[in-house]
Amino acid sequence: MQKTLVSVKGVSKKFCKDLKANMYYGIKDVMRQSLGLPPHNGALRPHEFWALDGVSFDLHEGEILAVIGANGSGKTTLMRLISGIYSMDRGSVDIMGVGKTTAIFALNAGMNPLFTGLENIYLKGAMFGLSKKELKEKLDFIIEFSELKEFLNSPVGNYSSGMKARLAYSVAIATEPNLFIIDEALAVGDSLFKAKCYEHLQEYVKQPNKAVIYVTNRIRKVMAVASRVIILDKGKLIYDTTNSAEALEFYINNCLQGLSEELRETRLRRVQEFEM
Amino acid sequence: MIKDVAKAWTGLWNYRYLAWQLVRVSIVGGYKKSFIGLAWMFILPILAVLVWIVLNGAGVVDPGDTGIPYPAYVLLSTSLWGFFLEIYKSTSNALANEGKLLIMKDFPREVLLAEKTLVHLINFSIPMVLNIGVLLLFGVHFGWAALLFPLSLLPLLLLGLGIGMIVAVLRVVAVDICTMIDEGMKLLMFLTPIVYAPKIQAGWLSGFIQWNPLAYLIGFSRDLLAGGSFFHPKAYLACTLGAALFFLLALTFFRATGKRVLERLVNT
Repeated sequence: MQKTLVSVKGVSKKFCKDLKANMYYGIKDVMRQSLGLPPHNGALRPHEFWALDGVSFDLHEGEILAVIGANGSGKTTLMRLISGIYSMDRGSVDIMGVGKTTAIFALNAGMNPLFTGLENIYLKGAMFGLSKKELKEKLDFIIEFSELKEFLNSPVGNYSSGMKARLAYSVAIATEPNLFIIDEALAVGDSLFKAKCYEHLQEYVKQPNKAVIYVTNRIRKVMAVASRVIILDKGKLIYDTTNSAEALEFYINNCLQGLSEELRETRLRRVQEFEM
Repeated sequence: MIKDVAKAWTGLWNYRYLAWQLVRVSIVGGYKKSFIGLAWMFILPILAVLVWIVLNGAGVVDPGDTGIPYPAYVLLSTSLWGFFLEIYKSTSNALANEGKLLIMKDFPREVLLAEKTLVHLINFSIPMVLNIGVLLLFGVHFGWAALLFPLSLLPLLLLGLGIGMIVAVLRVVAVDICTMIDEGMKLLMFLTPIVYAPKIQAGWLSGFIQWNPLAYLIGFSRDLLAGGSFFHPKAYLACTLGAALFFLLALTFFRATGKRVLERLVNT
C-alpha cells in the first residue's frame, strides 16, 4: 500500500455566470464573513453552476497524476483548490506530510519583462517562497536546467514564449516541492526540453514523499508520463485509473458521446490522426 | 484577531525576500529603460519644489494664522496629506490590480501590502527631505522634537492602510461604493486643515474639523516638525489608539474576505 500524500474528499466549487449577480453575491459573502458567518454554501443561487461537483481522489507517493478533461471541465479550478488559492464550498483537501507545494499555472505570471533573466529567476523564486540564500544555492541548477546561460542578461520581454517557459519551469522545479502541480505549463517548450522535463519528473517522483499532478489537454503527453489518470467532465470526476491507454479510450468515447455512429467514426479517426 | 495578526506576520516573514524583490521591481522597474534611471526619483520632487517656490512668489491669499510662514505650512501639510492619501490609493488597488497574479501564485496576500507600504515610504522620504530644506529656506526652525517626526507618522500610515485594505476587498465586488469612497477622499482634503489654519472660523466646517481625526494626526506631526510644539496631544493620542485598533480590525477583515473575493475578479 502506497502512502497517501493528498486526499481530496467531495470537493465542490460553484461559480457565477452573470457578472452583476457575481458582484452581488460577492458583496453578500463579504458581509456574511465580516459578521463571522460562513459564506453561502448551500444550493445554487440563480446564475450559479457547479464548476466542481463532489470530486474525490487520493494521490499517493510516487505518482504522476494526469488530470484531463475538455475545456471548462474544472481542471484548473481543482488545482487552485488543492494549492489553496481558492476556498472550496464543500468537501476538504487534506495534504498529509507534504512539506512544500509548488503550483505553476501561467508560467509568465509574476515575471517582469523589463528585468533580465537572472533578475527574474530571483523574482520568480521569491514568489515560490525561496529565500535569497536558497536561491543562491540553487542558481547553478536553475541556469543549467533552463539551458539559457547566454541569455541570462537579456530582458525577459525579449525571450520567446518557450524560453520564458523554460526559465519559469526551471525555477519551479528548483523549489523541490513534495507536491508539484503543473497546469498546462509545458505546452510551449520545444520537444527536446519537454522530453527532458518528462524524464526529470519520472526520476523526481522516485524520491520519498514526492508526487506530481499535471493538467493537460494533450493526450500524447498523458501516454508519455502519467502513472495514473483522472478525467473530469463538467466538474465531475468520471474516471480514475492507473491504465493510461484505457483512460484515453474512455475519454475520447465520452467526448464523442451523443453523436451518431457515423460521425463518431470520423471524429475518432481525426483525433487519432492528430494525436498519434 | 491577535492570532490573525500573528499569522499575517509569519506569512510576511517567510516571504520577506519576495517583498523586497517586489519593492525592487516597483522602484527600479519604472526607470529600467531610462538612462539616468533612479535620478528621476530626485529630479521630479526638485521640480515640484521649484514650481512651488515660483508660484508662491506670485503671491497668495491670507489663510488665517498658521504660526509658521504660510507657504511652509501648506508645503508641509500637503506632504502629510499625500502621505495618508498615497498609501490609501496604492493598497486599495492591490487586489483589483494584482488579482491576476494572486490567482496564479499562492504567496500570502499581505506580502503585496508590505510591498506597497515600503514603496510608499521610499517615495515619501525623498521629497520629504527636500521639503525640509525648503522649510529651512522659509525660516522654519527645527527643534529636537522634530526627530520624533517619522515616528509620529505611524498612526497616519495605519489609518491609510486600514481604509486601503477594506476598500481593496470592496473594489473587487462593490465598485460603486469604492467610487464614492475615492471621491470622498478628495472632499476630505478640503475638510482637513491643510491649506487653511485649524483655527479657521467657518461655521459648520469648524465643527467638522473638531471631529476629524486627520486634523489631529496631520496637525501633530506638522507642529512637531515645524514648531517643536505639541498640537492637541490628548486628541492625537486618542486618534493614534483609534487608528491602531482600526488597522487591526481592517487586517482581520482583509484576511477573512480577501481569498473569497479573488475568485469573483474578472481578469482583464
